[in-house]
Amino acid sequence: MTPNTHLSCFVEAARRVGTEVTQVDSLQDAAAYIAEKTSGIALVPETVLADKHDLKTLLGAAGVDVYEGDFRKAGHVPNAGITFSNFAMADTGTVVLESTMENIRLATTLPEIHFVLVDPKTILEDNLSAVKPMTEMHKGSEPRFVAYITGPSRTADIERVLTIGCHGPRELHILLVEGISSDLMEI
Amino acid sequence: MATDQTYKKKVESAINNPKLSEALHLFGDAYLTSRENAFQGRLDFEAMRKDLAEIKDDVRIRRKELLAEFIKNAEAAGSTVFIAKDTQEANEYVINLAKKKNAKLIAKSKSMVSEEAHFNAALEAEGIKTSETDLGEWIIQLAGQRPSHMVMPAIHMFKEEVAELFSKETGQQLSPDIKSLVNVAREQLRKGYFDADIGLTGANFLVADTGGIGLVTNEGNARLCATLPEVHVVFSGIHKLVRSMEDAVKITRLLPRNATGQLLTSYITWIRGAVPTDGKAKEQHIVLIDGGREALYESKACRDALRCIQCGACANVCPVYQTVGGHVFGSTYISAIGVILTAFYEGLDKAKEITRACIGCRSCSAVCPSNIDLEEIILHLRTQVTQEYGMGMIKNVAFKAVMKNRGLFHSMIRAASKLQRPVTHKNAVDGERPIIRHLPMHFMDRDFTEWRDLPSVAEKSFRDQFKGIVQNVKNSRYKVGFFVGCGADFVYPEVGTSLIKVLNALDVEVVFPQKQNCCGIPALYSGDTETGVDLARQNVEAFTEAEVDYILCVCPTCTMGVKRDFVKRLADSPDWSAKARALSEKTMDASDFLENVLHASEKLTGFKPQGTVTYHDSCHLKRGNKVFKEPRALLNAGGYSVEEMKNSDRCCGFGGTYSFLSHPQISKQITTDKVQTIKAVNSKTVAMDCPGCMIMLKGAMGKADPNVRCAHTIELMAEALDGKE
Repeated sequence: MTPNTHLSCFVEAARRVGTEVTQVDSLQDAAAYIAEKTSGIALVPETVLADKHDLKTLLGAAGVDVYEGDFRKAGHVPNAGITFSNFAMADTGTVVLESTMENIRLATTLPEIHFVLVDPKTILEDNLSAVKPMTEMHKGSEPRFVAYITGPSRTADIERVLTIGCHGPRELHILLVEGISSDLMEI
Repeated sequence: MATDQTYKKKVESAINNPKLSEALHLFGDAYLTSRENAFQGRLDFEAMRKDLAEIKDDVRIRRKELLAEFIKNAEAAGSTVFIAKDTQEANEYVINLAKKKNAKLIAKSKSMVSEEAHFNAALEAEGIKTSETDLGEWIIQLAGQRPSHMVMPAIHMFKEEVAELFSKETGQQLSPDIKSLVNVAREQLRKGYFDADIGLTGANFLVADTGGIGLVTNEGNARLCATLPEVHVVFSGIHKLVRSMEDAVKITRLLPRNATGQLLTSYITWIRGAVPTDGKAKEQHIVLIDGGREALYESKACRDALRCIQCGACANVCPVYQTVGGHVFGSTYISAIGVILTAFYEGLDKAKEITRACIGCRSCSAVCPSNIDLEEIILHLRTQVTQEYGMGMIKNVAFKAVMKNRGLFHSMIRAASKLQRPVTHKNAVDGERPIIRHLPMHFMDRDFTEWRDLPSVAEKSFRDQFKGIVQNVKNSRYKVGFFVGCGADFVYPEVGTSLIKVLNALDVEVVFPQKQNCCGIPALYSGDTETGVDLARQNVEAFTEAEVDYILCVCPTCTMGVKRDFVKRLADSPDWSAKARALSEKTMDASDFLENVLHASEKLTGFKPQGTVTYHDSCHLKRGNKVFKEPRALLNAGGYSVEEMKNSDRCCGFGGTYSFLSHPQISKQITTDKVQTIKAVNSKTVAMDCPGCMIMLKGAMGKADPNVRCAHTIELMAEALDGKE
């Protein structure tokens, strides 16, 4: 598969599991998209990429209510969480977030909506090709928390009826933006 | 063995609850479709499951070394690891930890081993509250029940019941609307993650080379349990060990696809060590539980069961599970894998009823992503149960006293063919042999003839007819030995005579060693290995003497017996096992031989159109011998037009003595399903390749729609040949 087919495969697989996928031209456009979809506070962890791209400023300028303070005190169900990702997997429509920083975990588990900014260059063919970067992330003996996220939270525990939004975010939005970072170890 | 009365009552009450069975059927059908979609494309399930089995076998062999590696890496990342020899020790560890932390509340995500440990009860007894956060687990916690499915614990409950439970819990009157009920759970449980002092999760993987765990989930509760509380306890069986991240990733390719038909679950979470929590390092305790697993690893006959990745598929496809549900067919773990794990984790005594509840259709073995031959292991356990608790008087006399003695067995059947005359009736289908509509013994009527006719024993068995058959084969290509099997010998000898006709038309000569006897599977399936070994010897002797090119069976269960089991049963004696192996290599099912050796569908041409038939795949033919294309090819070549029925490879409910002695009521339900799918196809003929299925389906169709004929493929082929002449 070529990177282009990875992209179309990724988009198709992600949409199939209920993820909203949108390609935007810039992080400014992404911020505008997010601003339109949010209606409350947004948790934005200060990761390497967030700092590098000055994400919080962009979001704030677009009108997103970026939460400043201890994420644990942002209420039990904040409105949005906005993060980057390390890489993605085309065959299953999955995004991978190295979430050892606690704020990434809080921003992706608690809110109603999770927005993920993905560089299309980081879309791998499938989860077998993810073994290498996953192994790389686990080098050494530092604590690690890595999350594969494939669509919004779901359950079928009552009468086997698929229901979205059980304990995790009810909506997952993936925004594809070129030029974020092609380094799979960065988030 | 006297059937335990409470067990019998449980079976009855499950059968009297058609709503549950209906729901499980709908689920089973939907599951098959989504699973098929999930594997579509470039994935090769057979190759993947063989690969997984190899991984798990290597882990079993190297488990001590890998466990040490896991512990070393986990500890290096700040985890505390505790090995519990049993679930009680595991509970005690958490109780002590909770007391030390002054913990009041534990938020739990799904952990089957915690069910095994009766964790909640043990903790509550010490005054520590546990809160299940998985929706299904929470429902059954509120209901005070146990899971009835490994992946969907509350699959047996309906939305009205859930609404009632949630109403009671919240003090509000809630309507049975699934979406809003899920929302109630979301709101109710959210606070708990913040309040809990300890979060407990299970683990799908213990990755040796990273020291981390992997969690495969959909709801997002495990991530919350592992994130918000200051302490994270991982509760896991020692068999979750894998060598590397690569192994774990391979399992993630199989597990969701095979469990729910998802390509991947919403969340897969990889956690290693003491990750930061609220400005500090989290305290992570990994409790690794043996609880009978080491003993299972040591059991050569059963150890493959620990390859299990807990996808629950063996339940999804099980006709017995679909009929009675997981609260009857299982304990903590349910369905096929549940039978085995119950025997090892709770004791053989606890598993003795459910080892007999397996009908032997091999659906579980076919769908297992770890390539576990579940049915084979259950049979082994059944033998142990029989040795320990006996198999009941009827079977004792039938197998040990009668069947082993060929002369006595066969003369009793001859006598039966005369004695049955007062109870037989003319068959509705012309030319078909008389049937038994009602048995005079009223007490047996309910289970025996209320819902099906029983076949009468043939006036003249195949073995008695054979000598009179003239075979006109000029240039014989092969000399084949016919292993007739009891069904075709004594009930449907016309299948045997048909086979001779078809083979002769293809220049093949048939010999019939008169000293052959029952294949022994009925005895073996009842756990009577001794009779099985004896019968294997008799047959091996008879066919070795006959010096034939091939041995053919018209019953796929016999094919499995001769091909697979004789070798195993006679393994102790080198001389006998060599002979058995030689026979095994030459043994085939008749349709398999006709199509793959004689190429009958190409050779036999010029048939008249014969009309529509629908085809029923017999369990042991399709899953036992991997034959399913062949009979269809033959029938189509013979002028029949095969129209597929829904779920053609689902069991007919026969299962040999299962339908007569051990579980007639479950059989009846499974057969009813089959009858419905047959009736849904507009065909007056059902073809199949198994006399056992013929007994069941002729009998049930006789009551349901006597105009539908059930026939063996070989009979239909012989009739097509007759039409040509």
